[in-house]
Amino acid sequence: MDDDVVVCRCEEVTVRDVKKAIAEGAFDIAGVKRRTRAGMGICQGRTCEDLIRQILVSELGIEPEAVLPDKVRTPISPVTFEILSGGGAHE
Amino acid sequence: MNEVCDVVVVGCGVIGAAITYYLSAAGMKVIAVDRSDIASGTSSACDGNILAIDKEPGFDSRMALESQKLFETLEKELSFDLEYRHLGSTLAVEDEYQVEQAAEWEKAMRESGLDVRLIGPSDVHSYEPMIAEDVLGLLECASDASLNPIALVRAYVLAARGNGAVIEEFTGVKDILVTADGRVAGVETDLGKILAPFVVLAAGVWTPEIAKRCGICIPILPRKGHIIVSERTFRVGSRKIQEFGYLMAKFGTRDRRGVDSETEQYGIAMVFEPTPHGNFLIGSSREFVGFDTSCNTKVVALMAKRAMRFFPCIKDIRVIRTYAGLRPYTPDHRPIISEVDGTSGLYVASGHEGDGIGLAPITGVLVRDMVLKRPSQIPLEPLSLRRFA
Repeated sequence: MDDDVVVCRCEEVTVRDVKKAIAEGAFDIAGVKRRTRAGMGICQGRTCEDLIRQILVSELGIEPEAVLPDKVRTPISPVTFEILSGGGAHE
Repeated sequence: MNEVCDVVVVGCGVIGAAITYYLSAAGMKVIAVDRSDIASGTSSACDGNILAIDKEPGFDSRMALESQKLFETLEKELSFDLEYRHLGSTLAVEDEYQVEQAAEWEKAMRESGLDVRLIGPSDVHSYEPMIAEDVLGLLECASDASLNPIALVRAYVLAARGNGAVIEEFTGVKDILVTADGRVAGVETDLGKILAPFVVLAAGVWTPEIAKRCGICIPILPRKGHIIVSERTFRVGSRKIQEFGYLMAKFGTRDRRGVDSETEQYGIAMVFEPTPHGNFLIGSSREFVGFDTSCNTKVVALMAKRAMRFFPCIKDIRVIRTYAGLRPYTPDHRPIISEVDGTSGLYVASGHEGDGIGLAPITGVLVRDMVLKRPSQIPLEPLSLRRFA
């Protein structure tokens, strides 16, 4: 992958940014996220997580299974404060 | 494989990273160990507070102020973008009873040297146009600030490495080595021994389990707190805003907060923090449920409801994530920054509860001065481990 390719569109994080994070010590999806914001946006890593796993695999020379996924947290898809609070109607 | 250095720092969250930085900057050879990645526990499951407004006037507020002074020049010192914003913070006052309480708090804070003032009902909405119409006042503290806590840990670590410190990730500590005459001699890790005349335990909620291995009891408990993350959106609030009742939730006073029993039970108090990326964070909750960091949807629902009470305009804004972290709680809400009696050379720097980010610089400086036997900037007795003996 070209270093200028954007892997996380929500937060505009490139391959270069991810490689830099790995060189700094990131070893899993959450470590890359903490250092680059990749996966912190509206899609919560749905697009970039697989791409970042590939970069971790090639940079660290490890198996894809060895890359820990990020924690899955509530909500599964974005919901409004009103719905989350138990009020209002779900779309 | 054995290694030798001057100081071993156990834990590389914000406290361990700060200590490693200040000691290495003073010329000490430091090895910091963490059983995982840096900032992978409490320091990445929190918000970015640098607050004095919520500290008890007196020693606690003075310590917070000393730390705030260190933050003012930190971005330059570390050559790192910390997303530091020095905008002050406010406490939102809801009713006449809280107006009285806030006036007392203001007086006590001013006497302790804090730049605090009460913004009255006629000015509240020119400062925060989106805040609920019935909010009666904003208690403002001008010295308060916020930043990105993960950036802070990374910045300290990178600067410490530049000073020659070594950060050993994925290295768990199995034991603390103590000589027969009661001096610390280093630590035993998964990867071998690290010998050093000084060891600092900076593992937050995990410090007690490490200290227990050499028979030392540290009264720190994990107190779980949730945070809600919004999508990027319009400007809801201009800076850090907490409800005045936060003080009551934090200190556990039960008097007249005017919230339902569940909100009380989970220690829920509204905390609003805008980020420079256009999202905002909503806190806060408090539960003693061991080391469980799963998100409790019931607690999150109550927090969302509480946030809408202060910012009705957020009801249609979407939540993209929630998370929970473990705050290292001590019985008197004050950290333990102390040598351990009976084991010379062994120090504890843990127990900052929700203040670890804001108190990291002063903690690093205090530990540096203890280790190097320099005079301390503030009295150390209120932070001693023996206060719990």
